[in-house]
Amino acid sequence: MALLDLSGLVAGYGGITAIKGISLEVDPGEVVTLIGSNGAGKSTTLRAISGLIRPRAGRITFAGKAISGMKPHDIVSLGISQVPEGRGIFSRLTVAENLALGAFQRHDGEVHADLDRTFRLFPRLKERENQLGGTLSGGEQQMLAIGRALMARPKLLLLDEPSMGLSPVLVETIFATIAEIRREGATILLVEQNAAMALEIADRAYVIESGVITLQGTGAALAQDDSVRRAYLGEV
Amino acid sequence: MPERGKLGRAAIAAPIERLRARTWERLPDWTHPLIWFALCILVLVVPTFDDIWVRMFFLVGLYATLGLGLNVVVGMAGLLDLGYVAFFATGAYVVGILSAPDSPHYSAFFSYWYLLPMAVGIGALVGVLLGLPVLPLRGDYLAIVTLGFGEIIRILALNMSDQTNGSSGLFEIGRPDISYLHNLGLTGRSTVDNVQYFYVMIVIAAFAVWFVTSRLRDSRVGRAWEAIREDEDAARGMGINTTRYKLMAFSTGAAIGALGGAIYAPFIDFIAPNSFSLLVSINVLALVIIGGMGSTQGVVAGSLILIGVPELLQFSETADVLSKFDWVGQGVNQVIDGINAVTHLDLSTLPPAEKWGAKLALYRFIIFGALLVAIMVLRPSGLFPSRRRKMEFEHTPEHETAGPAGTA
Repeated sequence: MALLDLSGLVAGYGGITAIKGISLEVDPGEVVTLIGSNGAGKSTTLRAISGLIRPRAGRITFAGKAISGMKPHDIVSLGISQVPEGRGIFSRLTVAENLALGAFQRHDGEVHADLDRTFRLFPRLKERENQLGGTLSGGEQQMLAIGRALMARPKLLLLDEPSMGLSPVLVETIFATIAEIRREGATILLVEQNAAMALEIADRAYVIESGVITLQGTGAALAQDDSVRRAYLGEV
Repeated sequence: MPERGKLGRAAIAAPIERLRARTWERLPDWTHPLIWFALCILVLVVPTFDDIWVRMFFLVGLYATLGLGLNVVVGMAGLLDLGYVAFFATGAYVVGILSAPDSPHYSAFFSYWYLLPMAVGIGALVGVLLGLPVLPLRGDYLAIVTLGFGEIIRILALNMSDQTNGSSGLFEIGRPDISYLHNLGLTGRSTVDNVQYFYVMIVIAAFAVWFVTSRLRDSRVGRAWEAIREDEDAARGMGINTTRYKLMAFSTGAAIGALGGAIYAPFIDFIAPNSFSLLVSINVLALVIIGGMGSTQGVVAGSLILIGVPELLQFSETADVLSKFDWVGQGVNQVIDGINAVTHLDLSTLPPAEKWGAKLALYRFIIFGALLVAIMVLRPSGLFPSRRRKMEFEHTPEHETAGPAGTA
């Protein structure tokens, strides 16, 4: 059974319907990517999953439980954690405090051990442990956002455009990190404009255009697809 | 930014920057315990001063308490509340309505010590009630709506004259009975009815509020508030129930405001709607900002300056002290006479020193305004910035980042 199951999801803002009937699945241990151009409805899909906006129609099931319309804090407690678009760093809190907030809902005794684990994954963050989040560079902030989301020990990690605004070298670094998180057994739903990188790392992929899914398949298959190559991989 | 504005700013900023660097940009850490020690000594010796001074320090303590309360809402949770006076008025009126003999709801049944917790509880409730409709609002919008609430409470007090006596107000508000302590031989009086006793009461209240709010700041609740202040959406993404924590911030601040009102009412002995004007909200907010948002020493320093200084400038003692500096004026006058002798400028001389005090009292709001401007220019993060604010002003980002840096 799929860990996350979207069927016929409709959502939007005010008078605008940004997604018009999205259906997709993420199985446990999978990395699934949702690619599409600016304004296609990628972030809206993620915001609907995490409860930040209310779906107008359709169904979201997570681990067998219907979660559409639930409050964000209840969804987080079920085990979905996200790296928001634009990172959402708490800029006047320190790196350590940012990470601690990632574990806000946890009451077990292992938060500290997880903090050490996060610092092993991102040695740069360890160096800057007591620095304010807002003083980090873009790449470091992205690492912080990912580390913070992992602090919740999520069953499903939602990544919203982790490559946005980063230099090519940093994009490589971030994707290497995502690959490492994946090796540790995480389930990831990745939303990206950078289709080349996303397809390389993903088990399966969906292409979203104007709020509807137009193509789906394995990452490798879509990377070979002519229309995808033309539209998203910059080939003529 | 237009180029012209940039240039202008640089031209002004450079000398100010030098002045800042040279003067008291930051007090060295070893001075902090000394400052605290001096403050404790001051707190202890105040009751031996003349009544007028004790009264001034009572007001400083009252506003420090209110400042600590507002700091929970504005400093910690980042909710800009311009109607804080609403809660102060609530506390004062709960005590007034139930304990003033000419009040329509006077009841001899309630001793002050029942009314005080009742006022705090009702204050917290009013905080939740006012908080609920404004929760979805942020920043400027929240500020405007809360501004309205402050006025609504005042106008309600004015127009619900069957309950509040309207504009004629409430007199002879019930004073705290301490006959229990008196019987134990601990206090000389059996009711709190002079400035010294009220001073002690507000000091106890201020310390209690300081204790509670500093514990809250370091707790899980405090971390949730800070996250909401920094980025509400991201806070929701962390699994923080923002509705609940914002309401908690509102009602905690409101309860503290009501506590202040409940102590102020018997002290001042007479409350009327006009005692609860917008100026109270502005003063409390200003002292929090001037002292240094989020810092306790800052709130104390802010209320000393904002409440203490204007009072001080009115005292006759201030004029007496100033007359000791008569020689300064005479010296200046000699120079002016000299200039007048050789030029046709005809400059007027300074008035005699005994008139300085009266002049100062007359001009106190101008002096006071200049002082506020000077403080905010020289120390933009406040007199005693909290650790976090200090970090923020000292570290500038190493790289320009593409992410939206949480603009309030």
